[in-house]
Amino acid sequence: MPLDKVTQVAQTKPWHGSIPVYGQYTFGIAGERFFRDIKDKGRIMGAKCAECNLVYVPPRIYCERCFGELAKWLEIPNRGVVHTFTVAHADLDGNRLEEPIVVALVKFDGVYGGLVHRLGEVEPDKVTIGMAVEMMLKPKAKRTGSILDIDYFKPIRA
Amino acid sequence: MQRRVAVIGIGYTPFRPISPDLSFKEMMFEAAQKAYEDAGVCPRHDIDAFVTCEEDFTHGRSIFNIHTPDNIGAVLKRIHTLPAESLYGLADAYMLINTGLVDVMAVESHSKASNMLTPNYLIAHAMDPVYNKPLSYNPYFIAGMEMNRYMHERGVTKEQCALVSVKNKANALLNPEAAYGDRISVDDVLNSEMMFWPLSRLDMSSPADGGIVLVLACEEKARILCDKPIWVRGVGWCSDAPSLETREWGEAVYARLAGEMAYRLAGIEHPRKEVDFAEVDDSFSYKELQHLEALKLCRSGQAGFMVEEGATKREGEFPVNVSGGSLGVGRLDEATGLQKVLEVVLQLRGEAGKRQLPNIKVGLAQSWRGLPANSGAVAILSNE
Repeated sequence: MPLDKVTQVAQTKPWHGSIPVYGQYTFGIAGERFFRDIKDKGRIMGAKCAECNLVYVPPRIYCERCFGELAKWLEIPNRGVVHTFTVAHADLDGNRLEEPIVVALVKFDGVYGGLVHRLGEVEPDKVTIGMAVEMMLKPKAKRTGSILDIDYFKPIRA
Repeated sequence: MQRRVAVIGIGYTPFRPISPDLSFKEMMFEAAQKAYEDAGVCPRHDIDAFVTCEEDFTHGRSIFNIHTPDNIGAVLKRIHTLPAESLYGLADAYMLINTGLVDVMAVESHSKASNMLTPNYLIAHAMDPVYNKPLSYNPYFIAGMEMNRYMHERGVTKEQCALVSVKNKANALLNPEAAYGDRISVDDVLNSEMMFWPLSRLDMSSPADGGIVLVLACEEKARILCDKPIWVRGVGWCSDAPSLETREWGEAVYARLAGEMAYRLAGIEHPRKEVDFAEVDDSFSYKELQHLEALKLCRSGQAGFMVEEGATKREGEFPVNVSGGSLGVGRLDEATGLQKVLEVVLQLRGEAGKRQLPNIKVGLAQSWRGLPANSGAVAILSNE
């Protein structure tokens, strides 16, 4: 018997479904330390690999280069430079943003890694790679211990 | 002793923006049926092992890969499944045949991207759940940031990136299976909707549906079963650091190291001289340029000039993405890498129709896993 294929679009029907999956994600040793210090002390903590002479931000307990264990914590200055950035014109649902968001990877002096966040108090067309920026935190009372405790990074005026 | 491994069968469905007529299982069946017919094998008797490459959530379900054996003839046989880019499946088959445990093997991958109603969330949920995901940005920001850094480091211009879209969409007009062939200009790309500066709408590939199955065999079987075996001369793969914070943003290091491994296995010392054409990942226009540099198919910082001079056109001295690439064919989720291999095999067989390249012996296929990953694989194939 030959195969009868569907030849009318009106005859094609899908089943619609969704996956309600809810969970939590453990911060772990390094995440706990990082977010506790952001929330309570307003400072960025990194973890140092003495073997590779690399300081990790965000911190972690292992080195991705030598696989060594990292137990040395360092405070990182809250000023860095824009390593790269984009001007996002669409939101997560694909809708156009009325106000585009500048998203950047901010790197810190002597640090391997950095932080991804938005830039504020700047026009998108004024942003450049290498621009000096500083971390702006939410007021202490509004911090919850998350990456959103950082409000944004803003350019440092010369 | 190293065994030689060849592609002896190819099967695929057309690549279309939507495919409401076939379920993904029927699409797999159609591609497999064609591949087995092409190779002249029966999956129940002649194929020793199978590998399928798909991601669970792209199908809107979990542990999806338990559902891949039956529609490719693999029930009660040896099958393993990779939640990975499909060129890794080809590498697996190459290795398994090399062990001597397996003589004939099938590799399958497909895309049913049109069934995913919230595709941005798939990528967003793949990002670091603590440091990145809570920011709730559209995940394509990563491509915008990468393009910006790549252009900054290598002096590549937005016009040069746009030329990649122009070239690949034009190439796709000669590929009957491609979904997004078009004749566009550099200005069309530059004037298209700004999405994630410097990334414009026409710098981005669009998704397509389609299935691909390849049959591979050891030399002894290949000589019996096939009059045009296409030899897998080398494979390679590599992952850079997964975190956005520590990964390399300018250079595609994963592609460089994957390429070095594949060249070593293939005995290639001067890629540009010894490889005749390439299908490289072009999920975004700049990616083609970034990958050509990483694969040493041009000198560092020269990829922009190469596309400007027309060297990578179909009639140029080093044709790249003659199939149309992902910009012209459509991006096929995890099957994207197998589409690259498929085109290289068609070209090396001399079956590429109007887009057939003359006088070719060695082709390279390269894949990138797509956002937010920075890993990928390379295969080098030859018709002699």
